[in-house]
Amino acid sequence: MSKIRLGLPSKGRLKDESIRIFASKNLNIKKTSSRNYFFNFEESDNFDGIFLHAREIIERLNDGTLDAGVSGLDLLMELPDEYQNNIKILKKLDFGFADLVVAVPNDWLDVQNIADLEEVSFEFKEKYNRRMRVATKYPKLTEDFLLSRGVTEFKIVGSLGATESYPFTGSAELITDITSTGSTLKENNLRIISDGKILKSSACLFVSKKFKGKELDIFK
Amino acid sequence: MSKALINKKNKENISKKILNIFKKKGFNFIDLDILIDTDLLTQRSGEAFKKYALNFKDKSGKEISLRPDLTIATAIQYIESKKKGTEKLSYFGSAFRLNKKRDLNVFDQIGCEIINSKSSPEYLILSTILSVFQKLKKTEIVLNDLGLFQDLINSLNLPQRWKLRLIRHYSRKEYFDELLKRLDTNYDLDNEKIKIDYDRLEELKKMNADKVIGSRTVKEIIERFEKKIKDPRDNFKGSRSVKIIKDFLKLKVPLGKSGNVIKKFVEKNNLKIKNINQTLSKFNNLNKRLGSKQDIIFDAKFGRETQYYTGLAFSICKQNKELARGGEYNNLIKTLGGKQTPAFGAAINLNQLI
Repeated sequence: MSKIRLGLPSKGRLKDESIRIFASKNLNIKKTSSRNYFFNFEESDNFDGIFLHAREIIERLNDGTLDAGVSGLDLLMELPDEYQNNIKILKKLDFGFADLVVAVPNDWLDVQNIADLEEVSFEFKEKYNRRMRVATKYPKLTEDFLLSRGVTEFKIVGSLGATESYPFTGSAELITDITSTGSTLKENNLRIISDGKILKSSACLFVSKKFKGKELDIFK
Repeated sequence: MSKALINKKNKENISKKILNIFKKKGFNFIDLDILIDTDLLTQRSGEAFKKYALNFKDKSGKEISLRPDLTIATAIQYIESKKKGTEKLSYFGSAFRLNKKRDLNVFDQIGCEIINSKSSPEYLILSTILSVFQKLKKTEIVLNDLGLFQDLINSLNLPQRWKLRLIRHYSRKEYFDELLKRLDTNYDLDNEKIKIDYDRLEELKKMNADKVIGSRTVKEIIERFEKKIKDPRDNFKGSRSVKIIKDFLKLKVPLGKSGNVIKKFVEKNNLKIKNINQTLSKFNNLNKRLGSKQDIIFDAKFGRETQYYTGLAFSICKQNKELARGGEYNNLIKTLGGKQTPAFGAAINLNQLI
């Protein structure tokens, strides 16, 4: 029987919580060098484990070089639909909670909801002859959400980090970003609009749709 | 000779004949660029458009698209030429669009456009296109004026923000239908949040009015907030307006009868529609000049999916196949970076014709 190729996040809380969740099912990682990317469980020889970046885990599940892995729902949903055809959510886990939200400058007091944003975006285009820019690390989810809510007059600005700063540096007018408590947005003078939740995300145990094993049913 | 080659030869021969007809009517041939700056397309149609255009990045990272539409390519060329007078232009070429499954569809089109005309161009365009089809029997024209829908919405007892929303989203049928559902139930805004904002308003009023927050001035934010508060929210009859809109969109009659039918509709619903007499006189005029040789149908919902049509729009069909389509697009040149310029044009779908 071939072993299950399992990917776990390589850094931070996602890594710690993933290790904890497997330990809770009596699958404890054998101690090796902290620089070693590969791991095995003390209690089972059925797994070949590897620590990878959370995004990389999705890529490897999609191309079939991993059978299972822990990563964020937001990362899967942002990728093209083909990925969702190849990857199945086995279990939504109890950590890594975060929402992808639409946030505007706090002082835009006339913008409370998406209907307001839709109106302001049209007025903005008429006045300045350009579209409002939305800075985001999640262009696909943002675009689909805004278009489905009637906000058509916008342009996506790709962001690699510090997205909260964009409206105050002239690089964008509003943002979408992932947040767990909203405190970073508040500290940066941004406000989540009332119906602006794009996605409720958490860490998930994903499996490749080709994977037919039963070993991970303990998580169901 | 292969079927594809015969088809190509046929298209070339037919296009030569059609361009000759256009030339005799005073249209000058222009060769259109096959590549368009993607930014121009998104500026006009938003990010959604990228899904339907074939886009690439050049070595400098600039995004370019294969032209998805020849009218847009003509408008861009007109802007770049910096001409100011009336231009009568004709073209021949392919438009490239992706369907929902991301497969590429190529449309071979031959068309004519009148840009910045001082007089009404609709008869010249329609008669020019019809002259191409004069040997074909049983063709039918379906016609509408999209300005009539705007005038109808503006005549309804609705908050201004709702009127704008309905007009802006008319071309997106699914979302428009969702808006009608929301209007039917008067679902709109969060009143509690607006109360809280009154306190913040006082703080904002103390700020420099020209201060820019997220590319918008404090003055702009305050003005819109106050306008929003004054606009009625709950006490308007949304369901009555929804019924009127739905009934209007069902109107479909021979053009010769459209005047009476529309007038009856207006009377029955006790509406005062601005510009209605000019629109009906335009219909009457076209019917007098073209209706004796041709079946013309007025269809109140025709042309809505073409986002840039602003007024009269038409389609020429034979046995449910659309041979040509055209319309008025008075805002397109401005949204592509030119001046506000009236324009009217139509294109023949060579794939269907052959």
